[in-house]
Amino acid sequence: MTAELESVLRAAFPEATEVRVTDRTGGGDHFLVEVTSPRFDGLPLLEQHRLVNEALAAPFASGRIHEMRIKTKGTA
Amino acid sequence: MNTELRERIKNVIETEPVAVFMKGSPQFVMCGNSERALQALRGSGAPVTAVDVLPDPEIRQELSALSGWPTIPQIFIGGELVGGADIVEELAASGELEQKLSESLGDGYRDEATERVVSVLVPA
Repeated sequence: MTAELESVLRAAFPEATEVRVTDRTGGGDHFLVEVTSPRFDGLPLLEQHRLVNEALAAPFASGRIHEMRIKTKGTA
Repeated sequence: MNTELRERIKNVIETEPVAVFMKGSPQFVMCGNSERALQALRGSGAPVTAVDVLPDPEIRQELSALSGWPTIPQIFIGGELVGGADIVEELAASGELEQKLSESLGDGYRDEATERVVSVLVPA
């Protein structure tokens, strides 16, 4: 699941300088998602998270993710 | 679509200074993320009006349809979506949450920082 999420994110954010998905509990359903991308520069946090949420809408809708923490950063 | 429920949710968002849609209540939190959001708000001295989304799955459906935000909790200040637990935590840590609260509620917002629970359920 971690690798799957990472590849979804890399496809959605090809310009990202960092994409990292961590299984926080080892149970395969609590994830920390970290994305650093120039696309986030100057964007409010809400919009940054919205982009990540949108990118992960399909895996999220599968019901296999119980919890997702998001950390986003711009590069500026 | 449940129009009446949606209107009730909208009313809470628009009229409450700080609305928190969460799992459980501030006294009995049913999810770690709702807990994190509450702690961040408490730490910033925010008044909290909590709505439990668990009694009816439709609450969550209508809320997300309104806000365009997929997960719970959802925090609104002055009628505007601030985000979920991660964002509120980050804003609390950077001091931006207090700034937002002051801008939206006035500098004395801490003085009236009560916590209360409201229901959006449509009476049968």
